Amino acid sequence: MSITSFYFLCFFGIALILYYVIPKKLQWSFLLLFGGAYFLTSTEVTDAGAWYVCIYPLMSVGAVYTAAKVIDRAKEQKIKKTALICAVILCILLLCVLKFFKLPLYAPMGIAFYTLTLLGYLFDVYYEIGPVQTNYAKLLLFGCYFPTMISGPITKYRELEKDLYGGHKFDYRQVSFGMQRMLLGFFKKLVIAERMALVANEVFDHYSDYSGFAIWMGAIAFTFQLYTDFDGCMDIVLGISQCFGIQLPENFNAPFLSVNIQEFWRRWHMTLGTWLKEYLFYPLLRTKFFMELPKKLKEKCGKKRAKQITTFSAMFILWAVIGYWHGGMMTFVIGSGLLHWFYIVSGELLEPVFKKWKAALHITPEQKWFVYFQRLRTFLLVTAGFVFFRSPSVKDAVMFLGQGLKGYSLRFFTDSTVFGLGLDGVELLIALLSLLLFFAVTNLAQKGSVFEWLEKQPVLIRWLILYAALFYVILFGKYGPDFSASEFIYQNFKV
Amino acid sequence: MSREEVFEKLNGVFCEVFDDEDIVIGETTTAEDIEDWDSLEHITLVAAVESEFGVKFSMGQVVTLKNVGEMVDLIMSKLG
Repeated sequence: MSITSFYFLCFFGIALILYYVIPKKLQWSFLLLFGGAYFLTSTEVTDAGAWYVCIYPLMSVGAVYTAAKVIDRAKEQKIKKTALICAVILCILLLCVLKFFKLPLYAPMGIAFYTLTLLGYLFDVYYEIGPVQTNYAKLLLFGCYFPTMISGPITKYRELEKDLYGGHKFDYRQVSFGMQRMLLGFFKKLVIAERMALVANEVFDHYSDYSGFAIWMGAIAFTFQLYTDFDGCMDIVLGISQCFGIQLPENFNAPFLSVNIQEFWRRWHMTLGTWLKEYLFYPLLRTKFFMELPKKLKEKCGKKRAKQITTFSAMFILWAVIGYWHGGMMTFVIGSGLLHWFYIVSGELLEPVFKKWKAALHITPEQKWFVYFQRLRTFLLVTAGFVFFRSPSVKDAVMFLGQGLKGYSLRFFTDSTVFGLGLDGVELLIALLSLLLFFAVTNLAQKGSVFEWLEKQPVLIRWLILYAALFYVILFGKYGPDFSASEFIYQNFKV
Repeated sequence: MSREEVFEKLNGVFCEVFDDEDIVIGETTTAEDIEDWDSLEHITLVAAVESEFGVKFSMGQVVTLKNVGEMVDLIMSKLG
């Protein structure tokens, strides 16, 4: 059941009332039960009848649960390490077999997310920075907390423990903030992403018919589609969770304000970035091989180069993993992985050249136009990466980008080509207006919580804005006759 | 080694790792305050601190260090 479906909203409403009626002690069990019911309505179970998918999360939680207990109790380091390795291998193997090797088996909803969440908990226990959960059902709730099963965020046990099992009294402010956040998510998802999808689908599906500006319009539409879809989904997920009194970590921080690729990845899918940094990248760099490498290379190529080569090789592994995690196909490995590695490495290597240019042109980092230029450049680089993400094969992506290099004609802006790209004049106007609204909200959010800002407005204006937003989404939201928008893209790609 | 001495020695390590003689660290200095302090430099820094003070940090400590003050506390507890 999609979380933008009418039935889900009913389901959620009833659950919310029950949640605050029952004793606080029972709330976590209720969430587990509710999550189980939600899991059983996922397409794998209802459409394909693949009941067996329920076993996989139970297995992963079981393995992590047991290993964590062993690690906590064992005195010998060797036993701790063995328990850790066994559980990690089992979880990763399940993920790879079900998700990435194209076997005729269904993968359960959220496997790419819950696997990382559970492994993060296990590493924390192993590193002795996180507590152990001795109740299997409670750990199951942590791993399979239903809002995060949809598309993340990847959570940390040590940060979530108190909220998850603590019990919550009804807090009007939190619940209303949560619902407002859901509304914002529906706006991004149903009004913007669904419209952008029409343009992206038209151009990507018939790219050989288009060239020049039209190609870039399709590519940029897809970037906005992916972003508003994933970010909108996060707003809904975090909003739902906030209604239950459980604060989840943020996953986005206005990524398109980034001035370079490194910054982009600190603002886009942040919980994945943190996870990989703490549990893959740091440990990788702390291995003997990577610790020794700069020392060995130092004599041959100098201190600075030695450090660079070490860093770049570790980053290559990191980016290959990021790309692979996104879907196991070469289009993802390149588009969300190695291409970004290439951007970062070439950016670092060309730094001296850029410095010279900047000095010659008298550019300082504070100049406003230069910041905008850097943002635009980063946006276009990321967009080129997403072309791979969207294309059925690497060859298609390369040919798509090739079409984008030729056939530029200013007639694009004067003839009616632009209205034939999936959206007619009125629809295009709604799309542009919605994007402007979205930018305004993003800009406001940079200064603090949008919902707290709204709270400070006079009561009349506050309700006027809320009703306007609600009707805007109802009127302009793109959903089918049964009020069920297509599933979130990230969900389709990765879960 | 006193806290001041640890700070002084640590300041030297920072200057060398970040290649900047003007860095002055304090209790509350974080990665936000030093431009080049990203995740890669963090590991280089930790390795340099380890060899300078002859201590070894666990992975958990590497991950959870919040500021320079905590790093000094940690070094002192290892030396003590």
